[in-house]
Amino acid sequence: MHEMAIARNIVNIAVAAAEKEGATKITRINVVAGELRGIVPEQLTFSFGLMAENTIASGAYLNLEITPVVCRCRKCQDEFVVKGYHYLCTKCGSQDVETLSGMGLRVKDIEVD
Amino acid sequence: MKINVMTDILEANDRIATANSEAFKENGNLVLNLISSPGSGKTSLLEKTGDALKGKLRLGVIAGDIETMRDSERLQKHKIPAVQLTTGSACHLDANMVASALPHVDLKKTDVLVIENVGNLVCPAEFKVGEDHKIVILSVTEGDEKPLKYPLVFRESSLLLINKIDLLKYTNFNLKEAKANARRVHPDLEIIDVSCVTGEGMDEWIAWLNRQYQKKFGTKPRA
Repeated sequence: MHEMAIARNIVNIAVAAAEKEGATKITRINVVAGELRGIVPEQLTFSFGLMAENTIASGAYLNLEITPVVCRCRKCQDEFVVKGYHYLCTKCGSQDVETLSGMGLRVKDIEVD
Repeated sequence: MKINVMTDILEANDRIATANSEAFKENGNLVLNLISSPGSGKTSLLEKTGDALKGKLRLGVIAGDIETMRDSERLQKHKIPAVQLTTGSACHLDANMVASALPHVDLKKTDVLVIENVGNLVCPAEFKVGEDHKIVILSVTEGDEKPLKYPLVFRESSLLLINKIDLLKYTNFNLKEAKANARRVHPDLEIIDVSCVTGEGMDEWIAWLNRQYQKKFGTKPRA
């Protein structure tokens, strides 16, 4: 249930950003999470609902965008999407690959009234 | 109205982790975040490690559990200084919990500090606590497919210890398959087979610890 800790942080970040702009109600929060984070969307939505209670984020729609794991092969420089956590260059078969994305976890933007 | 935010959700945690890490460096601590399922042998490994390091590197432990002081009591019997963190219901240790334990650890008298995380292969992988390395333990009674089911922790760890290797003949655990699965998610993962019962692999594990200590501080550990 690390979704609970993540949901609490999302609420804190969104509320702080909204208050800074003088907003009183958050209607939507756009979150981008890398696939490697292994977030269960249903659990995050549920946890978010609990954490947002009695804040200006209460009732806001939490939009979760999952970004794929993208790697670059150090041998042939090809970039590819990792499927099934198989870290293998799809072009030359090398295992010497670096992760470019798929670990991110951020609040991208919010919509407020 | 739309407001751009672009804030890392774990930023608050990572900031504290960085502060912890600076304190560890200043005090000469190699710090390892030990992660595994419940019952894979984290505490047994630490008991054996403490015995093996006696008179060499000084081991200290921060043990995280949802309830009870049992782990720290077991370690204290082996003269390993241990601080117990009970997390209540939290399924992982975060940087702030570890920071709260630090005043109770004599960092100046510790060379290797192991943070024994809550038994769980999922959540602890997400939260940096200021460690130099994550180490994952997989015991042969758990199944060789675990790296594919819980890829993040295997991806994030520097070392995989395959524990209870003495029980291999009583299980259908395929050692070759387990290693191939782990290296599928992390091609250059280091792997050591160990048994806390027979002592197999312990020398290799202790050598790994010494190597990491030397790499971080550039000095030979006290022989």
